[in-house]
Amino acid sequence: MFKKKLTLKLLFFLILTDFIETFTHLCFKKSALIENEVIITRFSELLVFLQNVFSSPFLWLGILSVLCTFILWSSLLSKVDLSVAVPVCSFSYILVPLASIIFLHEKVSLFRWSGVLFILLGVVFVSLSASGKERALE
Amino acid sequence: MKEELVFILFLIALTSICDTINQLFLKSAINSLASPRGNVKAVFKFIMQLILVPRVWVSFLFSIISLCIWLFVLSQVDLSFAFSADSMHYIFIAIVSRFILKERVCFKRWLGIILIVVGIMLVSLS
Repeated sequence: MFKKKLTLKLLFFLILTDFIETFTHLCFKKSALIENEVIITRFSELLVFLQNVFSSPFLWLGILSVLCTFILWSSLLSKVDLSVAVPVCSFSYILVPLASIIFLHEKVSLFRWSGVLFILLGVVFVSLSASGKERALE
Repeated sequence: MKEELVFILFLIALTSICDTINQLFLKSAINSLASPRGNVKAVFKFIMQLILVPRVWVSFLFSIISLCIWLFVLSQVDLSFAFSADSMHYIFIAIVSRFILKERVCFKRWLGIILIVVGIMLVSLS
């Protein structure tokens, strides 16, 4: 497989994907927040919960942005190597907690941030060795 | 509290497994087509062709299941926690690649997976 170069334009689109993904998760969280206390013991209650969530406009906004991410991501992957694209996109592991603090007023402790840092490092390590996996799948 | 956390982590693992299956089917469907060259029009044509592959629908089904479980998880815990814990799909994908697809998983990747596990533990403990 030939090497694909990362240009500034592609980098911009990769970071845009990060932001759209963060937006997606914010929308999903908003749609699930309608019912504050959900205690589900039976399957039928789960269906009622899902019915409530699926009637929320935030959910559909979220699904729309998932489609945007899907189209952006799959067209980007034909231009950039996966081992380059994944580390740039794992930027969302920082963006999502930040967005949770700003928009959802969640509290993120220093302990949790250190966990996020470990995950980020792990994702970068996993994707740096991605080229071998790509070859095997093809 | 402790039991609840274990249950939520179990559900997040379940969504991650659904995601993994989804990715596997999608990848094999994409591999069965010639990859698009060049412009946006070619990419759209590619997506249209992709929709006709049955394996893509299996993949969609699993992503819907995953979405339903995910929404329930989000109604129970903080987004910052759930999103971080969802990174465990990297672990499942590595395991699936190693034992089902018989791919070689190199040292660097195992190191990355250990880092992710440590990270998830730190995030869960807080």
